Amino acid sequence: MTTLWQASARDLAQRVQTGATSARAIAIACFERIEAHDDRLHAFVGLRRHAALAEADAIDAAQARGEALGPLAGVPIAWKDNLVLAGELATAGSRMLAGFRSPYSATALLRLQRAGAILIGRTNMDEFGMGSSTETSAHGPTRNPWGSDLVPGGSSGGSAAAVAADFCPIAIGSDTGGSVRQPAALCGVTGLKPTYGRVSRYGLIAYASSLDCVGALARTVDDLALWLAVVSGEDAADPTSRGQAFALPDPTRPRVDLRGVRVGVPWELNDPGLDSEVLAATHEAIARVTDLGATLVDCSLPSVAHAVPTYYLLAMAEASSNLARYDGVRYGLRRDAAVRCEAMMAASRSAGFGDEVQLRILLGTFALSVGYHDEYYGQALRARQLLRADFAKAFAACDVILSPTSPVAAFPLQSRIDDPLAMYLCDALTVPASLAGLPAISQPCGATPDGRPIGLQWTGPADAEGLLFDVAGCFQRHTEHHLRRAMP
Amino acid sequence: MTSPPTFDRQLLRRLADLARLHVAADRQADLQGRLEKIVAAFAALRDLPPLRDGSEPDAEPGVTLRPDLAEPPMAPADVLANAPRHAGGAFVVPRVVEA
Repeated sequence: MTTLWQASARDLAQRVQTGATSARAIAIACFERIEAHDDRLHAFVGLRRHAALAEADAIDAAQARGEALGPLAGVPIAWKDNLVLAGELATAGSRMLAGFRSPYSATALLRLQRAGAILIGRTNMDEFGMGSSTETSAHGPTRNPWGSDLVPGGSSGGSAAAVAADFCPIAIGSDTGGSVRQPAALCGVTGLKPTYGRVSRYGLIAYASSLDCVGALARTVDDLALWLAVVSGEDAADPTSRGQAFALPDPTRPRVDLRGVRVGVPWELNDPGLDSEVLAATHEAIARVTDLGATLVDCSLPSVAHAVPTYYLLAMAEASSNLARYDGVRYGLRRDAAVRCEAMMAASRSAGFGDEVQLRILLGTFALSVGYHDEYYGQALRARQLLRADFAKAFAACDVILSPTSPVAAFPLQSRIDDPLAMYLCDALTVPASLAGLPAISQPCGATPDGRPIGLQWTGPADAEGLLFDVAGCFQRHTEHHLRRAMP
Repeated sequence: MTSPPTFDRQLLRRLADLARLHVAADRQADLQGRLEKIVAAFAALRDLPPLRDGSEPDAEPGVTLRPDLAEPPMAPADVLANAPRHAGGAFVVPRVVEA
């Protein structure tokens, strides 16, 4: 029998719904495993043990009364420290928000609670989502369960590590340019960035609003589908949220092969210049996809050549505007030595924000400033438009696009943190879908000779999450990469 | 097309003022170097031609404005709970207007 910490979310919910296992027993098993191993990994920045056990007891009591339970009844779920829950701390990995306690809850978290999920704790992240290694967190770095000298990726590195360490079957992340998919790849788990607007961002601490998405990481594709069914849908509190219908696969009738699926493999995302181990694993995965009956289609995304500067200019410009709200007045850190208000704001912001956040605010301010706006921010907007047109053309000929998720597998701590451009290039394969607002999923497809996981990325047209679950789920059922465990 | 800018102290100071940041003297040279290197790497974007149809893209496509209706506000005590300083139901800031 599968131990509680190895079970899928769907399995755990069924056990709780039928009374086979109590929600309390699951929560206790989950906290015991975290307490045994998280000193080494530092996936969590805060646990909610007392409240979680009380909620688990309430679910067990409802089950005993014979009440209908939600689809995630008793499932332990972690959430990234940039989503707010009423009464709980939320720091976005920043000194700026040390001690901030939210007066309201994020829609995505409320929907999970209403479905019976047990929210167990907040996971570590790069400060305000600005990083690809979880090393810019004010709480210190998270370590990859596959090797404690390795980064877990970022910015949702704590969530990826939590799932890879079997602390919980699902962890919530956010994905602005790859912050769910890249850490999923580096930690050997599965990660979803939904279509822009699919999940409400109400209660998500903003980084770059035209790109930010709430996503999730799990061990199985099926658990991500279960999660999305619960959290998706229009929300009056988020004007960008979408109510468009999308079909989820029937878990009782999984796709047996990939016949009839046209898979685009654009060379721009499968470039020979990528890490050779990553390319080898991707080529093997493409061969497996072909064996399963998919038809490979030639397609091209020429504007991908500009994707990294386009993404960073837009994200930094939007961040410089979004983070203007941290002024030492309404919330956040304050340095009061200054006599004048503007000097107080500058002192507070300089003390509260870390180096990478300040660098990005300055670059964003530059891109929006008089004399440079049209050449940088304006051109980035145009480049995003060209990339969207490239994707539209590609999806006229194929159903999904396949590529590696990250150009490299997990790298050593401290090896890139002093070279921002090297760090930005970690996102080269994930930012195109972000810029186009498209759904994409990363799943394990192999490993380097020394055992570091490698991720495969499926990208679909807008609202095609159902198709992504279908094809990625089929690949998962026919391979064993997702069954490898980082820790006993 | 002009060449990418040199991030001298004057430009850094201007950006820091706009961004409400204080850059300590001992960090300026390092920051100037990093900014210049990143902007130079991004400069190829400036050579992109205009969009073929002559249109200008939206900064945030797909946003639907909600009805302009007043909704119940958050309780003042909740709003002030995270304020570094407050008094009499208001946020306290240093003097803004000189006497």
